[in-house]
Order: sequence, then structure tokens, then C-alpha cells
Amino acid sequence: MAMMNLDSILEGRRSQPHMLVEVMLDLQDQEGYLPEEALKTVSKELGVPLIDVYRVAHFYKAFSLKPRGKNVITICTGTACHVRGSDLLVNQVKGQLGIEPGDTTADGQITVECVNCVGACALGPIVVHNESYCKNMTPGKLRKKIDKAAGVKKEKKHA
Amino acid sequence: MLQYVNVMIDGAPVRAEKGTSVLDTAIHYGICIPHLCHIPGIHDMGACRLCIVEEVKNGRSKVTASCTLLVEDGMVIKSNTDKILKMRKNIAELLVAQAPNSKAIQDVAVRCGVKDVRYPFRNENCVLCGRCVRICKERAKANALGFIGRGKDRHVDHPPGRLMDYCKNCNGCIMFCPMSVTPCGGPMKKGQERLCGQCDSQLNADAQKMPGVCVWCELGKGFQCSRYLAV
Repeated sequence: MAMMNLDSILEGRRSQPHMLVEVMLDLQDQEGYLPEEALKTVSKELGVPLIDVYRVAHFYKAFSLKPRGKNVITICTGTACHVRGSDLLVNQVKGQLGIEPGDTTADGQITVECVNCVGACALGPIVVHNESYCKNMTPGKLRKKIDKAAGVKKEKKHA
Repeated sequence: MLQYVNVMIDGAPVRAEKGTSVLDTAIHYGICIPHLCHIPGIHDMGACRLCIVEEVKNGRSKVTASCTLLVEDGMVIKSNTDKILKMRKNIAELLVAQAPNSKAIQDVAVRCGVKDVRYPFRNENCVLCGRCVRICKERAKANALGFIGRGKDRHVDHPPGRLMDYCKNCNGCIMFCPMSVTPCGGPMKKGQERLCGQCDSQLNADAQKMPGVCVWCELGKGFQCSRYLAV
């Protein structure tokens, strides 16, 4: 299944090294992360050395080499968000979920990441929850959001 | 047919092949510009910044790395001014502070006139000169090594999985690594780092007053100075 999807991503882009980032973005959208096997195939099909593929994957924060949770919570720690208290949000996450930024909870529900700017400095501190932007976050609001994200999934599991 | 350009390096008019770098030209004519990350015949990336020179253009001078600067007709290069010597000394000091356990780097520091190191020693094993990466890519054509990460997390690594899948066991990366030869006194432990500086006697003049020409100092052998590799 995954291979077939990879084929459709690579369609019309084979042997074109400059399409590397495009292919990896599509792969990231589809899988949620970049699997090792898929990257080897991409390297072979595009004619890019594997080390260069990994270099690009490590360079951009948009790519993840580890599987990510269903809820991706991105905390902005840029200058504007920092002075408005984004470190409190990071501490809140650390205390509540017991994971460091960049990690995923053991049940694979929530991934927490830190980025340097999401381009909405006037509304900071910003938290991006699955591509929806939440402005003026406080630790309390973030706690409710995480509870909801984790709790809803649990209820669904029981049902 | 080869095309030639005329360049002025340290006041000496020299004729250089078009498309070569200023550093290569200077080494060819025996003008000593200290360098670390440069290997003849391999593309330069300007990682160590030791080979900085001043390029004078329209009465203004610009400091830039000579290994990535290609020769142009009528270029005026100064590699031995007070400003350059001071900056180069500072760069050499930073390199020694990052990796004191390398004879090559200690030697370069002596050549650049470092007397004491003002920065805290880090005692890392890598200065990110990229010699291993470029040897692997261009001479061995193996592409087994590369830079991973960015900023302070940048390091040399191989793709996940076993290294053996890509490596051709040519040992080029180890041969050309400036860390492969330790200082004469053996490796220094954390807290004991110091500037070696004992090879000072091998310089036949004060490093600050050294002439800008290559005098075949023994120091070059430590880091495979291109002059020794070329002959």
C-alpha cells in the first residue's frame, strides 16, 4: 500500500534531483513522517545520494524522521512568543505529558514540537494544533486542549 | 586552450590559470597562506576560514576566504596585512580551543602566531572542516559521509543503518582527518588542554614577522599542507 502511494508521489518526478523537497513534502503529508525504506526508494528513483536525502530531511523542521502522533502540537518559541511566555507553555507540556519537545507520547496520540516562528507574532504566544492556529495561549488553555485531544481519542477507543 | 589571467598577490604579479582559486595560485607560486580544510584536487567549501585574504577592488578591501575565491584578471590580493594576520590568529585560536588534540591544528596555530588561547577549551573531536566528507564524495565516490543537522547540532554522520553498506573501506576519511595525529605529548584529557606551541622552534622566524613565502616549514607535514601533497 505504502509503496503504491510512493509510486504515485514519484510519478513524473523520477530522475529529477531538484524535485527532492517536493517528493519529501508529499511523503511527509501522506505518512506523517519519513520512513527509512521510503527514503531509500526516493534516493534511488531521483538519483540523489542517500546521505543528501538525509541531510535535507535533517535540515528542515517540516520533516520528521520519527513517527508522529495523531495530534501534533507545535509551540512557537520565537522571540515575540518567548517574551509573551511560551516557555511556560513548554513547561506545562513537559509536566503534563512527561515528554520533551520533539517527542511523542507512548500511546502515539500527541507529539509536541518547538519551532522558531510561525509568522503570527502579534497573536503570540502561538500554539499550532494540527495546522489550526491558536492565539494568545496560556498554560491553562493548553492543558485543556491537550486533555481534550488525548481524552476524545480514549473515549473513541472504548466505544 | 588554457586561458591565463594576471593577478597581483602580495605585490607580486603572477600569471594564473583561469578557473583556479586564489589559494591554489598562491601555493603554486610559493606564497604561504595557512590553510586547513583545503585538499588539492578536491572542491573547496571554505569551512575553516584560515585562508582569508584581502581582495582590493576600487580602493576598497574585502576579506574573504581565498580557497573559494576564483582568480580574475587584474585582481589585487593581500594575504599578509596586519588586519589579516590578526583575524587569522583569532580563527586559529578558536580552532585550537575547539579541538586541541590535533597536531595539525596545533601546528597551524603556531604558524599563525598564536601565543595563548583566550577561549575556553572544548576538546571536541571535530572542527567540521569537511575533509572526510569531500574525500568520500569526490575521491572515493562513496557518499557514505555527510553533514547532518544544522547550527550547533551540525555533525558528520552516515545514513542510518550499517556504514558498511555504502563505505568502500578506502580509509580516506581517516587519512585526511586533521584529528588523526595527536600532539607529540599524547592526547590531552579534559582540563589539561593547552597550546602545544613546542614546534615554535621549527619556524625560523617570529611567526608575526614571517615572510609571506613558503619556506617549507616542517609544520606543513602535520596537516598535509598542499605544498607537500603537490610534490
